[in-house]
Amino acid sequence: MASTACFIIVSRNDNPIYEAEVGSAVKKEEAAHQHQFILHAALDIVQDIAWNTNAMFLKAVDRFNDLVVSVYVTAGHTRFMLLHDSRNDDGIKSFFQEVHELYIKILFNPLYLPGSRIMSSQFDTKVRALARKYL
Amino acid sequence: MEPDVSIESGCIIRIAVLPIGSIPQVQLRDYVSMLVRHNKVELSAISSFYTEHQKSPFANQPWETGGLRFKFMVGGSPASPWEDFQSNRKILAVIGLCHCPSSPDLDVVADQFATACKRYSSALVERCFAFCPGDSQLEDGGKKGNNVVLFPPADRQTQEFHLQTMMQDIAASLLMEFEKWVLRAESAGTIVKTPLDSQASLSSEEVIKAKKRRLGRAQKTIGDYCLLAGSPVDANAHYSTALELARLTGDFFWYAGAMEGSVCALLIDRMGQKDPALEEEVRYRYSSVILHYRKPFMQDNAQRVSTLSFELEATLKLARFLCRRELAKEVVELLMAAADGAKSLIDASDRLILYVEIARLFGALGYQRKAAFFSRQVAQLYLQQDNSLAAISAMQVLAMTTKAYRVQSRAISSQSPNKEIGSTHADAGKMHLQSVVSLFESQWSTLQMVVLREILMSSIRAGDPLAAWSAAARLLRSYYPLITPAGQSGLASALRNSAERLPSGTRCADPALPFVRLHSFPLHPSEMDIVKRNPGKEEWWVGSAPPGPFIYTPFSKGEPNNSNKQELIWIVGEPVQVLVELANPCGFDLMVDSIYLSVHSGNFDAFPISVSLPPSSSKVISLSGIPTSVGSVTIPGCTVHCFGVITEHLFRDVDNLLLGAAQGLVLSDPFRCCGSPKLRNVSVPNISVVSPLPLLLSHVIGSDCAAILYEGEIRDVWISLANAGSVPVEQAHISLSGKNQDSVISVECEALSSALPLKPGAEVMIPVTVKAWQLGLADPDNAAGKNISGNAGRMSKDGSSPMLVIHYAGPLEPPGNSAMNGYVVPPGRRLVVPLHICVQQGLSFVKARLLSMEIPAHVSENLPKPVYLENGSMEEATVPDTKTESLVKINPYRGSWGLRLLELELSNPTDVVFDISVSVQLESAKDEDSSTFVDHDAADFGYPKTRIDRDYSSRVLIPLDHFKLPILDGSFFAKDSQTDDVTTSRSSSFTEKSTKAELNTSIKNLISRIKVRWQSGRNSSGELNIKDGIQAALQTSVMDILLPDPLTFGFRLAKNDTTQVDLPGESNIQLKSPGSKGSILAHDMIPMEVLVCNNTREMIKMRLSIACRDVAGENCIEGNKATVLWAGILSGICVEVPPLQESKHCFSLYFLVPGEYTLVAAAVIDDANDILKARAKADSPDEPIFCRGPPFHVRVIGST
Repeated sequence: MASTACFIIVSRNDNPIYEAEVGSAVKKEEAAHQHQFILHAALDIVQDIAWNTNAMFLKAVDRFNDLVVSVYVTAGHTRFMLLHDSRNDDGIKSFFQEVHELYIKILFNPLYLPGSRIMSSQFDTKVRALARKYL
Repeated sequence: MEPDVSIESGCIIRIAVLPIGSIPQVQLRDYVSMLVRHNKVELSAISSFYTEHQKSPFANQPWETGGLRFKFMVGGSPASPWEDFQSNRKILAVIGLCHCPSSPDLDVVADQFATACKRYSSALVERCFAFCPGDSQLEDGGKKGNNVVLFPPADRQTQEFHLQTMMQDIAASLLMEFEKWVLRAESAGTIVKTPLDSQASLSSEEVIKAKKRRLGRAQKTIGDYCLLAGSPVDANAHYSTALELARLTGDFFWYAGAMEGSVCALLIDRMGQKDPALEEEVRYRYSSVILHYRKPFMQDNAQRVSTLSFELEATLKLARFLCRRELAKEVVELLMAAADGAKSLIDASDRLILYVEIARLFGALGYQRKAAFFSRQVAQLYLQQDNSLAAISAMQVLAMTTKAYRVQSRAISSQSPNKEIGSTHADAGKMHLQSVVSLFESQWSTLQMVVLREILMSSIRAGDPLAAWSAAARLLRSYYPLITPAGQSGLASALRNSAERLPSGTRCADPALPFVRLHSFPLHPSEMDIVKRNPGKEEWWVGSAPPGPFIYTPFSKGEPNNSNKQELIWIVGEPVQVLVELANPCGFDLMVDSIYLSVHSGNFDAFPISVSLPPSSSKVISLSGIPTSVGSVTIPGCTVHCFGVITEHLFRDVDNLLLGAAQGLVLSDPFRCCGSPKLRNVSVPNISVVSPLPLLLSHVIGSDCAAILYEGEIRDVWISLANAGSVPVEQAHISLSGKNQDSVISVECEALSSALPLKPGAEVMIPVTVKAWQLGLADPDNAAGKNISGNAGRMSKDGSSPMLVIHYAGPLEPPGNSAMNGYVVPPGRRLVVPLHICVQQGLSFVKARLLSMEIPAHVSENLPKPVYLENGSMEEATVPDTKTESLVKINPYRGSWGLRLLELELSNPTDVVFDISVSVQLESAKDEDSSTFVDHDAADFGYPKTRIDRDYSSRVLIPLDHFKLPILDGSFFAKDSQTDDVTTSRSSSFTEKSTKAELNTSIKNLISRIKVRWQSGRNSSGELNIKDGIQAALQTSVMDILLPDPLTFGFRLAKNDTTQVDLPGESNIQLKSPGSKGSILAHDMIPMEVLVCNNTREMIKMRLSIACRDVAGENCIEGNKATVLWAGILSGICVEVPPLQESKHCFSLYFLVPGEYTLVAAAVIDDANDILKARAKADSPDEPIFCRGPPFHVRVIGST
């Protein structure tokens, strides 16, 4: 498991709708902010790359210092962004794919307004489990 | 590292610009701005200043197209250790700026300038420009040598021209200096050093190597000067040599430098061209530059001096060259590589510059978020330096990031044409969910909070209280749910501390707390209601107000009435109120120093109020104001003075916020978390202000409390109307509305209309007569009838009282302004005066019964006297002797048969005493052939009042003997008989119905003539409504009451000759024995007459018979014990009576025994017609019709 990993789902309106620190390192608030700043900045690059490829998994698109941003873009232009310090592309890809399935299940919920915050605790639990499994 | 580097910076000459002496800031800025315009001087322009002393080393100088470029370093800059390596880093010229009025002594100026120039040993040209010299200064200006140049006072254009000339002179001088330098370097060689070299160990091998390298380095430096001199071709030639030499000697650092120079020369040479081949060339060469810069770094790892900054600069230069959208990917790669280098940079300021450059390049690329990220890194680096200048820089840099993080201050965002969300969306009412979502784009609350906190921190450190206030306000308002109560209090104190340093009355674009939303617009109070005036109609108010008490009528549904854009009319000079709701979701006490409506249209005076909001609370407050002039008023929000700063809180913002909260897109709804109920979205209506209107105020004279009336009580109420406005009332109209309208008997409209125009301050009284209505069974007041009397002072429920609605209006046109085009008629007003009536249960009617009784006539001394009335019809007015006689309107001496009485049972559940008086109105004798007894006013007959004590019930008798029709007419049965005749008539059911209707009319007619009035105490009186009860009682036997018998019978004595005509009433028989004191003696032959009167319009044939009975009811004429003897015929007398006539039959009786006897006449009608049959309710046509007269008493006195 990676020591630092920050997973965020960004809606098509560029709103973060789900945030999770899934790294094993000791969590510091300051660091979490920095992680979000890096992820937020990476959106600019994702925006360019996403339209130039057929793949959903964009691999590592951005980095800052030793932290790498990997991104997975769904068909609805929801972006799964993972900030990590490990180089485990296969694991990350599997992680993204499984989270995508979870996300689709969230979308099935008629009471969920696409683009609003994902509040489901079950989703959170499952995402964290996936992170432990793959990252 | 240096900021703002590019590939072309190799050819830019640096000039230090130094202020000499004291110069006011404004002047300095002005002079500098004049100077910096000349950052490029064409070679063609300087040829006049240029003299070729020797043969120029710049053989290929492009005199036509080329030019010299300058970079003005205002304030100068410290010398770089690397200036030998890159000549463009040298300060090659110094320009002093002097403001003569503030530095009078030019000698001192010259000295100061000379001192300042000493710091710049590399400077080749030094000039001091002195502006605005005085006359004396101009005079001795000539002898100061070349260095101080005086600019004579002139207009700006001339000065600019002068400055341009001076700059061309400087450029020419520089060019000549460069030539000199190059010539010297070529001949004598030059020693160039870099910090890199000084660190090298000085072994013999190294010294030899250095000698070899020197040549290449010299060539590179000459190339630099060629570039600066604007001759790229020459530069390229030297760079090529330098490259060769450097490669041979393995001098990679200089190799890279020469390569950089060659690229610069290439670009300058091909100025303006951007072909892909050139781009490819630049890219290729620069990647090799970067590679070679890296080499010495890797090679001599032990070296303390890093060449990393050159590598990074080269990277940035390339990135800047390539910085285009199409090449974004490449640029991003370069910039990311540069950013990676940051952590290896030792110097913090280098890192700062690197981040600044990266941010700028990302910004240029359109990557705002990336740019913001690096800007924030810059700001953090600034914040690490602990001084206020750095803090100011940090604050400014952070302010630039706010757009990308969407935490802009409204002061900035309102300047830029931002998308105006909200107003259009909110108006649409129901918006699509997706568009709701799009309202809240890019809400990275964590980041936003961090950025705002950093802005707050930096602005506090920088000593900018307004920026600090604004940041704290944004932080507190937007992110209070994410901040702990302690943090909230901290922010509140930050706000207060900042405000202390601000001058009072400071405005800030960013609102803090509280949250303000529009609650409602209270309707005008009913007395100030405004009604649109329709000038074309007589009833100008019609159609403008919803008729009736209903707020919603289905008939107005079809109107294109946009309900959420209702119109509101305010009146100049009349205070208005708007309810707003404030919420303080934070954990501290919020004191709003003042809050008032913010109106930009300028025709509204708002009254500020101050509010205190406890933690987590909301409050609805009413804000008032007075419109001052005609026009429209828009209320976008409230102006709030809170935490020492004045801010404007827009309703629209809060509406958007609440919308987002409803969809779960925003953190929290500030009103809901304060426990305020959910409120529908109130939109600001179109408010128009109109000129002053009259204002009527009403009050009920006596008391404004409800008048307490018993059921049916009649009372006069006086209403006073006063004009409290400033405009006379010119039109007024009174109408009724509400429930129980029929209880208002009369309203004196004339009183009002005659008082028009009602001047301001005038008053008018209107009398209104009210009759209290019946309490319905469903009315809860009925059940609680007792309770009402308990609390007599309370107001009646508005629901049941009738209302006077007064529509009134001022003049149609403003005074002195006639027939203006497009003039809108001022609206009128409506005043609703509720007549507060509290109805108490009064006398209650229990039931009505019809009673029949018979009182046989008898004889006594007191005989009624016949009276002849003027109209010829004979009437007999009974003169009552005793009171008891008048109780029932019967003369007992005349007797009565079939007398019918209506008995009303009344009960008094109240606690007062009621006096009942009954009156019966009779038809006046208009009919000529009316032979009825006519009582002109029955009330005058003095039925004594019946008094009913409280909690008692009583019965009142009403005689019904005066209602009989005079003639038994066929008309009454006409329909019936027709039905009988025409059995096949299909209209039988119809006729039956109409008969029934006629019957009902006659009953109603009868009932309406009976009035039961009551009185209680001194001043309450009324009438009992008993119609239904009476109708029920009379329904069955109305025919008997209304119709006379076909025949009436009468007996009288025919003793003496004076014919006393006795007109028999309907069932009255008058027996008279004048002169004999009214008594009949026994043992005497008494001649008698029986009178038979035909009440029909046809001849009646009958067989008459007379019977006499004693007290025991035994027939005393026939039988064994006959006590009466008779003469004449007593039975089977055939009589024919012509219509409406009477016939007489004489007989005599001889009473043997004194006592009471009863005479009865009876007749069997032969050949009865249909009318008679109907009247007798005969079952079969063959049945004989039998008529019986009333009994008749005879008192026989024994002869003594």
